[in-house]
Amino acid sequence: MKDNFRQSMKWFHTWVGLVVGWVLFFMFLTGSLGYFYQEITRWMEPERPFIAHEVSTEKLLDTAQIYLNKHAKGVDEWDIMLPNARDQNLRVGWRHLVDSGKQGSRYKITVLDALTGEAVASRATGGGKLLYRMHYRLHYLSTSISYWVVGFCSMLMLLAVITGVVIHKKIFTDFFTFRAKKGLLGWLDIHNVLSVIALPFHFMITYSGLLFFLFTYMVLSTNLQINDEEFDEMLNEIYPGSTHLDSARQPSDMLKVSSLYQQVKNSWHADELSYVEMFAADDINAHARFVRHETDITYNPDDEVTINAITGEVIAVKINKYTGAGIIHNGFFSLHEGHFAGPIARWIYFFTGLIGTAMIASGLILWTTKRKPKQMKKANGPDFGYRLVEQLNIGTIVGLPIAIASYFYANRLLPLDMANRINWEANIMFISWAVLLIYPAFRTAKQAWSEQLLFAALLYFMLPIVNAFTTDKHLLNSLHHQDWNLAGFDLTLLVVSSCFAFAAYKMTSPQLSNKTSAQRNKQVSKRVNNKIVIEKRDHPSVQVTNDSLLPLPQANKEKC
Amino acid sequence: MSYLVNKLNACSPYWSMFSRVLAAITGGYVLATANSIFISQLLLSSVGKYQAIHIGLMLTFITYACVAMWVFSVSTATKVWLGLIKLTVLVAVATWLLMKLNGMSS
Repeated sequence: MKDNFRQSMKWFHTWVGLVVGWVLFFMFLTGSLGYFYQEITRWMEPERPFIAHEVSTEKLLDTAQIYLNKHAKGVDEWDIMLPNARDQNLRVGWRHLVDSGKQGSRYKITVLDALTGEAVASRATGGGKLLYRMHYRLHYLSTSISYWVVGFCSMLMLLAVITGVVIHKKIFTDFFTFRAKKGLLGWLDIHNVLSVIALPFHFMITYSGLLFFLFTYMVLSTNLQINDEEFDEMLNEIYPGSTHLDSARQPSDMLKVSSLYQQVKNSWHADELSYVEMFAADDINAHARFVRHETDITYNPDDEVTINAITGEVIAVKINKYTGAGIIHNGFFSLHEGHFAGPIARWIYFFTGLIGTAMIASGLILWTTKRKPKQMKKANGPDFGYRLVEQLNIGTIVGLPIAIASYFYANRLLPLDMANRINWEANIMFISWAVLLIYPAFRTAKQAWSEQLLFAALLYFMLPIVNAFTTDKHLLNSLHHQDWNLAGFDLTLLVVSSCFAFAAYKMTSPQLSNKTSAQRNKQVSKRVNNKIVIEKRDHPSVQVTNDSLLPLPQANKEKC
Repeated sequence: MSYLVNKLNACSPYWSMFSRVLAAITGGYVLATANSIFISQLLLSSVGKYQAIHIGLMLTFITYACVAMWVFSVSTATKVWLGLIKLTVLVAVATWLLMKLNGMSS
């Protein structure tokens, strides 16, 4: 299309990244938050008690079972979720019948106070789960439309990742080239560093994201080859779910879950129970499955022990065999979701996700930075397209984080007895995003950037304070109780706030402007014959070698 | 036919771009699907039916990406469509031959 393959791919990379860049930014940011969705939900339900230290697993199991015997009588299947590093409250869950008039049932989780054994009545909130669901389910759109939109965007992301590698003949040299504070080249280097530093992650997350809906997207291929029955059989082969006995409708007395747990404890080394699933409760077929925390990306049969709840005997479970392709498929799922990740790995996941988000943001900013000099010379001002991209950039890159902050504000400030409270939390998030998308139209780009950055810094800084005024789960209390999940959330907000404040300061400080004299007499590195040379100079000019990604005249124009 | 396509191409660069985008999306999808069936037929005897289909499916996104990149690297939109048709026919014929072969051995 262009002169050669790499030039074509460069063009392709630019446009593939641009057309859905803002949706991808949304998906990456909400997806990254998803790695902490349980922690976010916990913060958004401040009625939950603080962490209860040193309550034995047996005691917790008893507490939960007493509650279940009282409130879930006659329910065949229920679960007990033990406090863990991610969610430090005791929870029980079972399928509740939907209100009269409607068919079916809905799985609901109830949080219990580990000390009193009473249910905690939390405010109605979408929690972290709603936020995390948005990254593949979007919001407002119907499920099937969302999946196709997300699939289309992910496919373009995959293309952007692959073409990004193709156009970088010297991907590793570029990685170590960093020209700070230098407008276009600075942004290009930032984009390169962010892309290369987490390249395997970017590829994995995009490709596995597509795999999640493989059978939806590639429905034609399966339909041409197999019928519906065979398709179900194939799914069973790919995701071999474990089977369990159903209730025989013959009531029988069960042993206590805590006494069943004694046997499990023997086969496991430590107290590492994650949750218990009870099947056919209070029936002669009753059996409990004890599951411990996942520790690696492949399925480990030792992670589960099934026990007959009447006799207390361990039931040998047929181990599910994965096919070779099934291992790859499910391995990608594990890598994408990161359920196996401990606290440190989880933070790494979170930061890598943010690196992906920042990579998309820097690519979008790069698009405008590159076109700015030419656009500014136009007699009637910049083109509509340029202004649109700039406005969407400001409204999304800073606007979305602000919108997410307003989601948290809505959680704290909306009346507790409000009808449709869950919906309104999300509505407020999207209304604020819409406002921030429109706002840059009335300001110059620079004003809009710095004002929104400052606003974001202020909002994130105020959030822990508002939290302190509206709940008793504020930073001082959570630190005092050593509830690190709660404290971590507030502390992270403060860190995010200072990042935005720093960005706002950078935006307003004169160094960033290319035309000010402040930039003169600064140490600048430049590339000469592919080596990085640091030199002192008093007139900004840039030498770009031929294999740079930028066209030479444009790079010089930007600088001079 | 090719005269007509050329004639339309000459009208406007936007049409050529639209044609390419259409080729990448639809042509890419068809070719990716055809290729997945080809791979399934190729692997059928060695890994079993369901796994063969599964492997073919998992590779569709890679095929799709390669086709899309190729669509935007070829010099004209006409060449793109002709190339896509040729490739699809080639893969379809190869798949058909494989199906015959698999049918005979089973």
